Amino acid sequence: MKAPLKEADEKLLVDAAQKDPRRFADLYEANFERVYAFVARRVRSRADTEDLTAEVFQQALAKLPKFEWRGVPFLAWLYRIAANAIADRWHLASREQGNPAPDSPSDRPTHIELEGVETRARLYRLVSTLPVQQRRVIEMRFGEEKSIREIALELKCTSGAVKQLQFRAIKALRGQWDGKPGTNTRKAHG
Amino acid sequence: MAKQNPSEQLDRVVSAILGLSALPLSPHDVSRRFDPAVAPFIEVISDLRKLPRPDFKERLKADLERRVGMTASAKQPQEHASLREGFHSITPYLILTGAGSWIEFVKQAFRAEEHLRVQRPGQGDDIMHAEVQIGDSMIELADANPQIPAMPGALWFRVDDVDAAYHRALEAGATPIQAPSDQEYGSRDGSVRDRFGNHWYLYTPKPDSRLFEGLHSVTPYLHPLRGAVLIEFLEKAFGGEEVYRAQSPDGVIHHAQVRIGDSMIGMGDAHGVYQPMPSTLHLYVSDADQTYEQALRAGARSIQPPADQPYGERNAGVVDPFGNRWFIATPTRR
Repeated sequence: MKAPLKEADEKLLVDAAQKDPRRFADLYEANFERVYAFVARRVRSRADTEDLTAEVFQQALAKLPKFEWRGVPFLAWLYRIAANAIADRWHLASREQGNPAPDSPSDRPTHIELEGVETRARLYRLVSTLPVQQRRVIEMRFGEEKSIREIALELKCTSGAVKQLQFRAIKALRGQWDGKPGTNTRKAHG
Repeated sequence: MAKQNPSEQLDRVVSAILGLSALPLSPHDVSRRFDPAVAPFIEVISDLRKLPRPDFKERLKADLERRVGMTASAKQPQEHASLREGFHSITPYLILTGAGSWIEFVKQAFRAEEHLRVQRPGQGDDIMHAEVQIGDSMIELADANPQIPAMPGALWFRVDDVDAAYHRALEAGATPIQAPSDQEYGSRDGSVRDRFGNHWYLYTPKPDSRLFEGLHSVTPYLHPLRGAVLIEFLEKAFGGEEVYRAQSPDGVIHHAQVRIGDSMIGMGDAHGVYQPMPSTLHLYVSDADQTYEQALRAGARSIQPPADQPYGERNAGVVDPFGNRWFIATPTRR
């Protein structure tokens, strides 16, 4: 589902970036969380998720001059690049291990998969709207995978205080996140 | 189970999820293992598991911005070619002991045509700057002096008849490096060293060979210790585009070509008689100031900041990490 205005906005961004590659930054900002969430659902390690997310945007930047509007959202094009990059890595890994290629995840994402991606991407964005201390706790705990004790040391507070901040942050995220799939779909593609 | 405060309970769930496999906990697991009060948060916690690291997004953005700079600059020399008439994007600049004699040598050996000779005032025949044309290419040169020591170079030179050119060069005083022979990559090659220290890699391409497409008559050839690093520098500093690389599994580059503007740089990692010969190269670009800054960001060292020159150029000088000197220039009059 896609609002025409959103599609027009996206087309403007793509047109601008095709004329001046420096404008690619706008497309990156608009799509980073979704691409990252898409890759994160399909690969297990954080290092691979980061490598592949970087690869998707590097390829998108290089291939942008060839991108043509054919009624398919720009995001779908990014997902296709991501799916291919993940499949390539999957096959490479299985060849290096001398094993027959296992079944890689389907290139074409399912509706359920995309809903999950949208949900996560929205959650990632919501984290950036938290009050500073809460946001830092969530980023360190989940993004940097630090223990409560490590975070307490860094923030110069007690472990109890860190747990309180974590609790308030997750409660706030849950509150903003309610009614997620379905109602989010339009924004997610726009 | 002793009653814990909510933040403690929630942290137990977080710890369990962060320590678990990629499979999310089902509501059933949650209700079985944790206080039902935390159930509403389980999905949020599970989906936060792979939250991007806070600096990753910014680092990737910075990397893309660097690449965009490369893309933009790579297009400049082709789209807005800003060349001095008769010159290509890259011109080898030889600093020689006995520049006048060298001009006689290239006239005899390679039918070069002298276009310009500026003598150093009060220094007899000492050449301050000269230009000769060989085939479709220009070569610039000057006499060495105590401040600017000799800096010969290696030149990859396409000729119609490599055997004839090779023998003419020997007759004019050059010494053999390799007698002409057919090469499986599609050319007949022979090489000589002139009396001034320059290497000449002479070749006559086979009619159907594509390796030599886009090359002018004379192409500077470099022998860096690590060609892969030099290629990366040329890409970042000058928007170079690697168009060919023959590399062994251990990473040694046997031959590579990088296009810059309308010209090519050839290279092969140093080995045997082909040891590093840091060279001086004159590079025409559309914006000398911008390319100079870009070269410094790519790891070059400045030897001369951009300045307008009386001979109709704005130019700047840098040394790359392999000791090659680049004079980056934009003509200020046509």
